[in-house]
Amino acid sequence: MAGSDLYIGTLDVLILKAVSWGPMHGYGIGRWIRQTTDQVLTVQEGALYPALHRLQRRGWLEEEWGVTETGREAKYYRMTPAGRRQLRTEVERWRAYARAVTAALDAAPA
Amino acid sequence: MRRLFRLPGSTADVARDVRSELGFHLDMRTQELIEAGMGPQAARQAALQAFGDLETIEGECRTIAARGARERARRAIMVGLLHDLRFALRSLRKSPGFTLVSILTLGLGIGANTAVFSMIRGVLLRPLPYEHGEQLVYVRQPAPLAGVANAQFSPLELTDYRQRSRTLPSIVEYHSMPFILLGQGEPRRVQTGVVSANYFDVLGVRPLMGRGFRAGEDQPGAEPVLVLSYGFWQNRLGGDPAIVGKTFEMNDRIHTVVGILPPVPQYPAENDVYMPVSSCPFRMSEFTINTRTARLIHMFGRLAPATTLAQAQSELQGIAITMRAENPAAYPSGQGFTISVASLHHELTSQAKPTLLLLLGTTGFVLLIACANIANLTLARLVRRSREMALRAALGADRFRLFRQMLTEGGLLAIAGGMLGLALAAGTMHLLTGFAARFTPRAGEISLDGEVLMFTLVVCVLTGLVFAVLPALPSRANLVSALKEGGAAVSGGGSHRMRAALVVAQVAVSMVLLVGAGLMLRSLLALQALDPGFDAQRVLTMTLDLNWSRYTSNDLILGFHDRLHARLAGQPGVIATASSLTFPLDGHRRINVPFVIEGQPPAEAGAEPLGDLRSATPQYFQALGIPLVTGRFFTPSDGPNAPNVAIVNQTLARRYWARESALGHRISADTGKTWITIVGVVGDVRHYGLDSEPSDEVYIPFAQLPFREGTFLVRTSADPAVMAKRISEEVLSIDPGQPVANVQTLEEVRGEALASPRLTTSLVLMFALLALCITAAGLGGVVAFSVSERTQEIGVRMALGAGRGEVLGMVLRQGLRLVVFGLVLGVAAAVLLTRLMSGLLFRVEATDPLTFTAMAGVLVLIASAACLAPARRASTVDPMVALRAS
Repeated sequence: MAGSDLYIGTLDVLILKAVSWGPMHGYGIGRWIRQTTDQVLTVQEGALYPALHRLQRRGWLEEEWGVTETGREAKYYRMTPAGRRQLRTEVERWRAYARAVTAALDAAPA
Repeated sequence: MRRLFRLPGSTADVARDVRSELGFHLDMRTQELIEAGMGPQAARQAALQAFGDLETIEGECRTIAARGARERARRAIMVGLLHDLRFALRSLRKSPGFTLVSILTLGLGIGANTAVFSMIRGVLLRPLPYEHGEQLVYVRQPAPLAGVANAQFSPLELTDYRQRSRTLPSIVEYHSMPFILLGQGEPRRVQTGVVSANYFDVLGVRPLMGRGFRAGEDQPGAEPVLVLSYGFWQNRLGGDPAIVGKTFEMNDRIHTVVGILPPVPQYPAENDVYMPVSSCPFRMSEFTINTRTARLIHMFGRLAPATTLAQAQSELQGIAITMRAENPAAYPSGQGFTISVASLHHELTSQAKPTLLLLLGTTGFVLLIACANIANLTLARLVRRSREMALRAALGADRFRLFRQMLTEGGLLAIAGGMLGLALAAGTMHLLTGFAARFTPRAGEISLDGEVLMFTLVVCVLTGLVFAVLPALPSRANLVSALKEGGAAVSGGGSHRMRAALVVAQVAVSMVLLVGAGLMLRSLLALQALDPGFDAQRVLTMTLDLNWSRYTSNDLILGFHDRLHARLAGQPGVIATASSLTFPLDGHRRINVPFVIEGQPPAEAGAEPLGDLRSATPQYFQALGIPLVTGRFFTPSDGPNAPNVAIVNQTLARRYWARESALGHRISADTGKTWITIVGVVGDVRHYGLDSEPSDEVYIPFAQLPFREGTFLVRTSADPAVMAKRISEEVLSIDPGQPVANVQTLEEVRGEALASPRLTTSLVLMFALLALCITAAGLGGVVAFSVSERTQEIGVRMALGAGRGEVLGMVLRQGLRLVVFGLVLGVAAAVLLTRLMSGLLFRVEATDPLTFTAMAGVLVLIASAACLAPARRASTVDPMVALRAS
């Protein structure tokens, strides 16, 4: 993935967040990321898929094949309990990271 | 969501899924862009653009997904296995009776097989514990026409073979003699291996401590040295760590201990100590060294490199022929001297082999029967569990899954049975070793080693497979559909036929085992019923070897014996005392002498009559209860200077004086120089074994033919142990340096002679009965099951007027039909198989009709009893209840 655009682990936590409301297919997850981040975090779209497979292999997502509203067969990703726990940890870590960076950037000169 | 439970399995699946997923993305993205107003071509381009390097990403996804799929598959197997195990445990716990019976029968079967295999491994399969043991050979010189299995070799013959043989470059000589060892407390009679200096080197035995013999130590004039056996050092000398260098007095000379042997099997006999031939006064005597017929030596050798046994055999045969041509007098043609070379491994194990193989066959059959029984029980359980299985099948368990379930149950049973079997085998190890020691000096090498454990494991796996596969066979094609139909097909024809076939097989194998056991039993009975020709009750025997350095003349020897007899005569409990060279069944080798008969035309040179030589004091016959046929026993007046007399046995008397009395006839053992008058004829004695035929025997008064090494016999009415102690005290009071050894009652000696066949027979009989019990249980189970299935039919029959007797008969007939079928197969198999054991039989044919008939009778009887219980149950069916149940 385009690491220059995204901080390490950002894509993973976004994917987990995306599927936290219910099963989604890869295209849906990509679209959600694009839309909710106002296209700020747009990356090469293909980079999403290896990440999805990695998360699935780690047991955070599981696949299920379903049919879309348009009648097409698609692979859906569903969050596992382990994935939900992972999301919680990642969010915590991200917030702490963001707070720290923000605090540093807002600090007055010593 | 039709692919809800679908997970990609193969690499092709993974690739297809990844392609389809990415394709979907691109299609959707293109669609999105078209909807935003782009042309289809441009939208497609833009979608690809936004996606990035499609091929790389697809490859990356494929790799990750494939790895994940493999991991999931592995996990699924583990989870499935755990699940299977838990399920199997639960299901076995639910039928504790079945589980217990299965584990017990399997444990017995596997235990017996493990035990027997450990013997076969230790004795037959393991290489000899000597360096390159496979090259070691043992040479015999049989004289079959004289009834001698191995005449052994004289030093002159040894020298000839050593000089002329190329195939056996290093020939070793060996003989064993008792000597008296002084210097460590009481005088001790020690069995001494007298060997050439190269003995330990050729056998490849390295001493545990010290050294072996050095070249030259077997030459005349060498310093006397000793090597001790491990057992003697441990048991008699307390394992004294500083024993090397200590000295003992033997044969009036000081012998220095130079080494200790490791614990290896000693062949031909266990010895306490070893000395080089130079120390043996008999081996080095003028007579022995210069007489070609002074045969006292055993010959071993090591095959020259790249030489076969057959080459050695033919070379030695050639040498022997030359030797016989050069010295015809030493090889009487009537005795038929030959030579035979056999591997030492064969010599050590040939006696044990048939018995061990018989036992392996027996225990193998028992295990087969046990397996068939468990398969049968499993089949019955399967039918009872058909609803449960059908439910599981309906819930999506596939055929393989159900099969795996049965495999797991079988495996668990097999492992439990195997562990029980191992425990049984380990627990009976010392019994086995004791048993094997009767047949082979290698018994000490028997142990539960890695290969035996591997054997047990393989047996476990195979038996587990058998339980799983056999019940699945009848409905192999449609197990699941059968189960889905409520088990109807499983309880139907196929299953019935399989269960019937299993019972028929069990009956057939049981019949083979019963016939085998019956034949062994008849042999044993025949052996026991034989009249040995002597009365073994209350006879005490002992070895009395006088010290050669002190008893240097016949007068001194006779003086000792006369004093001993005189001291014991008239003592309470003493009925008769005797000194002799040998006594029946004592395992001494045959000594036979050619003789001529006065008044009969001299036989061809070398083909003279032969008689086994016995030297005995007057009361020998009373002491052993050998009956006088005609004439008289020896008396004290048949002294050294009295006329030479002899007593012959009936067989010899009949052979040469068939129409007249042998009394008064004269024979000569020195071609007519001295004549010996026959004064009595006594009954035949089976001297060399209970199954040996009586030979021609010539008894000479001990006073006229004294021996320094001999035996002492007492017929007593007192406690043999007390009597033995008293005799030992009397011997010591006459000569304080004189030990008495090998004190045994003749009853014990006779018991020992019967012990091996008795033990083997008991083992085979025990296994046959075990097999019979298992088979009866299996048969009863099959009949009971079929009765429970036919309850309605029986009810209908009874409602239509069938009597209880008819129903009983019907069920019995059904069971006995299987038995008869099995019996026919079993008889056919037994006829083929029992021939293999004819070498172990005594006075009974391998196809003995009486045994076959009797065993068939036993089998039918037990089988009928097994069918009777379910048949009785069938005959008490209440027709109303049975009909209402439908």
